[in-house]
Amino acid sequence: MFMLDLKKSLLAVSVMSTLVLTNAAAAEKKNIDGAVMYPIKNGMYTDYAVNEQKKEGFSGHGRMPTANEIKAWDTDVMPDGHGLPVGEGSVEFGDELYEAQCSMCHGDFGAGGVGGYPALSGGQGSLKNQLGLEGTEGPRKTIGSYWPYASTLFWYIKTAMPYPNPKSLTDNEVYAITAYLLYVNGIKANGVEIDDEFVLSNENFMDVKMTNPDGFYPVHPDRNDLKEQRGPLAQGVRCMTNCEQPEPISINAEIDTGFDPAISTEKSLPKVKESATVSKAAMIYEASCSACHANAAIGAPVLGDKEAWAEVVAKGIDQVYANALNGINAMPPKGGADISEEELNEVVDYMINASK
Amino acid sequence: MTKISKNSDKSLKSNSVEQSSRRDFFKKTAIYSASALTAASVIAPIKLKADDENIVHHVEWGTKLGDRVDKNLYGIPSPYEHNNIRRVHDLLSSGDRHATVSMSPLHQQEGIITPNGLFFTRNHGGTAQIDPNKFRLMIHGLVEKPIVLTLEQLKRYPSESRIHFIECPANGSTGWRGPQFNNLQFVKGMMSSAEWTGVKLSVLLEDLGIKPEAQWALIEGSDNSEMGRTIPIEKILDDAMLVWGQNGEPLRPEQGYPVRLLVPGWEGNLNVKWVKRIEFSDKPWHAKEETSKYTMLQPSGKAINFFWPMEVNSIITSPCPEVPWTDLKKGDLVEIGGIAWSGRGTVKTVDISLDGGKNWVEAELKGLVLPKSWTRFSYIIKWDGKKKVLLSRAIDDSGHIQPSIDKLIENVGVEGIYHRNPIVGWEVTSKGVVNNVHVRS
Repeated sequence: MFMLDLKKSLLAVSVMSTLVLTNAAAAEKKNIDGAVMYPIKNGMYTDYAVNEQKKEGFSGHGRMPTANEIKAWDTDVMPDGHGLPVGEGSVEFGDELYEAQCSMCHGDFGAGGVGGYPALSGGQGSLKNQLGLEGTEGPRKTIGSYWPYASTLFWYIKTAMPYPNPKSLTDNEVYAITAYLLYVNGIKANGVEIDDEFVLSNENFMDVKMTNPDGFYPVHPDRNDLKEQRGPLAQGVRCMTNCEQPEPISINAEIDTGFDPAISTEKSLPKVKESATVSKAAMIYEASCSACHANAAIGAPVLGDKEAWAEVVAKGIDQVYANALNGINAMPPKGGADISEEELNEVVDYMINASK
Repeated sequence: MTKISKNSDKSLKSNSVEQSSRRDFFKKTAIYSASALTAASVIAPIKLKADDENIVHHVEWGTKLGDRVDKNLYGIPSPYEHNNIRRVHDLLSSGDRHATVSMSPLHQQEGIITPNGLFFTRNHGGTAQIDPNKFRLMIHGLVEKPIVLTLEQLKRYPSESRIHFIECPANGSTGWRGPQFNNLQFVKGMMSSAEWTGVKLSVLLEDLGIKPEAQWALIEGSDNSEMGRTIPIEKILDDAMLVWGQNGEPLRPEQGYPVRLLVPGWEGNLNVKWVKRIEFSDKPWHAKEETSKYTMLQPSGKAINFFWPMEVNSIITSPCPEVPWTDLKKGDLVEIGGIAWSGRGTVKTVDISLDGGKNWVEAELKGLVLPKSWTRFSYIIKWDGKKKVLLSRAIDDSGHIQPSIDKLIENVGVEGIYHRNPIVGWEVTSKGVVNNVHVRS
């Protein structure tokens, strides 16, 4: 049976592989990411039914934003300087601010290494490193070695830093910290390396030239490069039989600690932490007594019913314990629960106390 | 009220055991004859084991009242499933556990929907806890009619529901230099899948009117990091959505409550959470997460930016290191199962190899096969107790074939961090133990 199936599927495979590739070649429209764009045919988008009713006009539920609202939220800064607020800040002031608010995570001079937070300086000349393929060091991607635009730095500090207290810096403070980080990375403005006298402002911001503006592709923003559909990073080969394969490589240095929580698939009750709010007596009550004592229609005194329980207690506590142990009226001994006499008495106490 | 005495109860039970053992015998006989055992072994009596305590005695939960229906008014899983949870590892965090990732336990997931509590989480400044009454969405820039909407107003738009995975582009990135983790959760757990409900951006824009020069949109979150990304207009108008529903309930805070962007098939990071603002422009923004992160450094020293779709990919989830075959006996039938997906289209085919890639067979796809969605595959074998190396290779309808490890490295080196989609290997030892291995072809 099994072998037959296998043969059948192997036969099907050779047919299928041709089909797949033919389909792809004849593929319908693709988007700029190289993804297939599926048409809506007979009210269906692939296997989804499409609601084709007119949907214009729902914007009537909203309203126009005010100019102040747009100003409050539109705080981004673009590579061409669009969005830079009026202001200025010196390297010197930035140094002060950095020491006080940034260095605990990013290290002195942006060198990093504090508790895993990123370095903000250094790494220039390291971008071609391929650790594992050659050499002993990987690339170090920092503001100085990698970031193409200073606008990103300003915008990010303004909206997202300091990490535990974002949006707390004034625009002048953001200019100052930006200036300091450009300084520690030896970035140039107007062809001259930024020194400790430098003052960064919205006026001279576009003079700043980062070290790696041409380090990315496709090149934006002209978009001409986007008209080509994206291919995959690597195309596999569909070999089906007698394919050449090396022996597999096992884990060399396994990361087998540090998982939180530890890796486990055990199906067990979790260790119960002693709960301050739910006592054992309360749990027994829930499991074994509440079916009657939480239901007025049964006729048993209901938990929380002060009058009913006052009557019960009036008999004397020893009598109450005895009734619970031996049963009373419709109640079987111990209420039918499989518990010790001591547990039973604790439950009685619980019920009395909860009904005072 | 009729209480069966212990004796009569036992006799009833043993009776039924006898019956079931006879049925069992015929069933086993059928299987064995199909697998061409000798006639002698079929006729040989199958020895019954001792009675199973779980059958011949009343079980604990059957002899007392269960929980009241008003216990856990928002339901929770069985307490026995307390190990079916997301997990974290400090090696994967940049500094602390606010800006890090939690991995989804793929080895215990079924079908193509991740339960909301198990959906992987990647934050850049902690999970924002947003008051839905204070939520506002602003759309402005190169549109004819800018707009502000409250959550209730946004949800007035007619909704659509779609099933899509979201995968962090760094999923699998610990494998660039070799296998490191010996579990599925940390090898591939930076992805999950849900049915998302919301409104397509193209519907919103019908009214607002995009100006012809609008080429890009900035989608910005309102969280600590104001995480924002630039999306090209072609994606906005194709299948991008603003979603507020996740598997039938409001988005979880970790997934961007109350509203996130959904760009089906694209890098998880682009599916901006806690959305507050969408601005249209003629140029891309170069936000922090499309500069310092989410760009792929190549051996040339240059990096690919704006690399959007997640490539065709697949992973065998059963067996895997956490779900081994150590309980199997020789001759047992067993299903090899897994997930295939592509951000560029629909999974067409999944091939499986049992011998480390020398020979391949086509697996069966099962269940819903949808675009930019997890697709389940299956291949049933008989366990022979011999060491195997299991591989899976997916092909999508855009024509892409999942590459081998070295083919990818040849093209992009090992420092790209993101978009690592080569074939994954599980070695199954003769004892059924499963280990992460790399087949470097």
